[in-house]
Amino acid sequence: MLRLEQISMRFRRPDGERLALDDVSLEVGRGQIMGIFGPSGGGKTTLLRIAAGLRKPDSGTVTYEGEPLSEMSAAERTRFRRREVACVWAQQTVEEHMEVLDHVALPLLVDGCGHRSAERRVREALLVCEAERCIGTELGALSDGERQRVALARALITEPRLLLADCPASNLSLIEREGIMELLCALAREARVAVLVTASDAQTLVGVDPIVYLRDGQLIKPEPASDRGNVYPFPSAGSRSAALDA
Amino acid sequence: MSAKHALLGLLLHRPAYRYQLGERLQERLGPAWKINSGQLYQTVRRLAADGLIERIDSAPDDQDELHVYAITVPGVEEFESWFDAAVSTARLSRRPLLVKITLAGPERLKDTLEEIDTYEHHCMGALEKHRRLREEIPVTAQVRADHELLRVNLSADIAQLEGELVWAKYARERVTWLLSQNPIWPPMHERSRATAEEARERLEARTEMFSRIAAKPQRPLPAERKQSA
Repeated sequence: MLRLEQISMRFRRPDGERLALDDVSLEVGRGQIMGIFGPSGGGKTTLLRIAAGLRKPDSGTVTYEGEPLSEMSAAERTRFRRREVACVWAQQTVEEHMEVLDHVALPLLVDGCGHRSAERRVREALLVCEAERCIGTELGALSDGERQRVALARALITEPRLLLADCPASNLSLIEREGIMELLCALAREARVAVLVTASDAQTLVGVDPIVYLRDGQLIKPEPASDRGNVYPFPSAGSRSAALDA
Repeated sequence: MSAKHALLGLLLHRPAYRYQLGERLQERLGPAWKINSGQLYQTVRRLAADGLIERIDSAPDDQDELHVYAITVPGVEEFESWFDAAVSTARLSRRPLLVKITLAGPERLKDTLEEIDTYEHHCMGALEKHRRLREEIPVTAQVRADHELLRVNLSADIAQLEGELVWAKYARERVTWLLSQNPIWPPMHERSRATAEEARERLEARTEMFSRIAAKPQRPLPAERKQSA
């Protein structure tokens, strides 16, 4: 469904160029969930932004259902962003005083959906994401876990077929992290959505298979679940010991 | 590990009455292999039903204390096949006490300290017993393989019990420290408030939404779009 082929990206800065992504290729099919983990600054967010069509790579192709994003018309690209793909970003700018219902309903209202229908769908999405208790609360008053659930509800409201989630479980407790990951896995398994999710460590990506390691813009060999050991999806010994030593 | 292959191994050496099998299991392998008569009966029955052992006596069926069992050819093959194939891996125990400590929550964590003390006390008792048994194994002028192997077996149990005591001490220290820290607890209690009704409602909403998304038609391919235009 989503294919990224030989994606490279450089950022030009006053102190020189930085290679954000170096010849990265991956593919996520319908009903699959793929995880990308790696240290901050490794290129995860950049990769997702390119996959979402929000950023053009310096080289390489992003293909969605066989069609390169670069060859889509403006109208098609808008449709892709509004109806096909949904994103959950690690750092989201929100209107702190906006009420949860209004915030989640926004994509529907922008798309011309009526208020009553939008509210019904918003309540459904919040219930699915276990955030229905947040109704009536301002965004600024939400806990980190609630904020992530509300963000997921907003992403699901357009019923996307591709979901890109950037560190959706970071800074959450173990139980909340498991809840978020379970929902994403169910989305892939039951709703047949293609899901690409990132995290700073492999342990967060509970239930996700395959997972790949992205560091300094380079993709390291994927780790199938069978190689990861019994319970904990720790990264390979080298990177784990490096993490422990840090 | 079940006693199946241990019993076959014992019968490989010589036939035995059923009650003797239970005794020999403990004598050769140590107290950890104590098996109650009900379990022994079930295991022997299953081995016989699978054709791995057979009765070689002519006692009446209802006098099972007189039944003598011997290993069969398939039984020998099964044992040797297991012996060649079995790979020892590290086994982690599922301790009920660990479940209690992990899921106690803020209200009940303190109660687990008493449980850790009781567990420690039991381990100490078992450790003393095993050490005594090991010391009681006679040392003979001629080295006896069964004595030395029993010493090896008991040492495995002793090492495990010593490890349990190290863990229990650590667990008590950490739990005591945790209780002194006023920590943040994950919202387990929020979850516990979800009733079956709420869970059902959530599941229904999820099923409906996910079914809709799964059934969403694929957007037309570029060639199709051009044609329809």
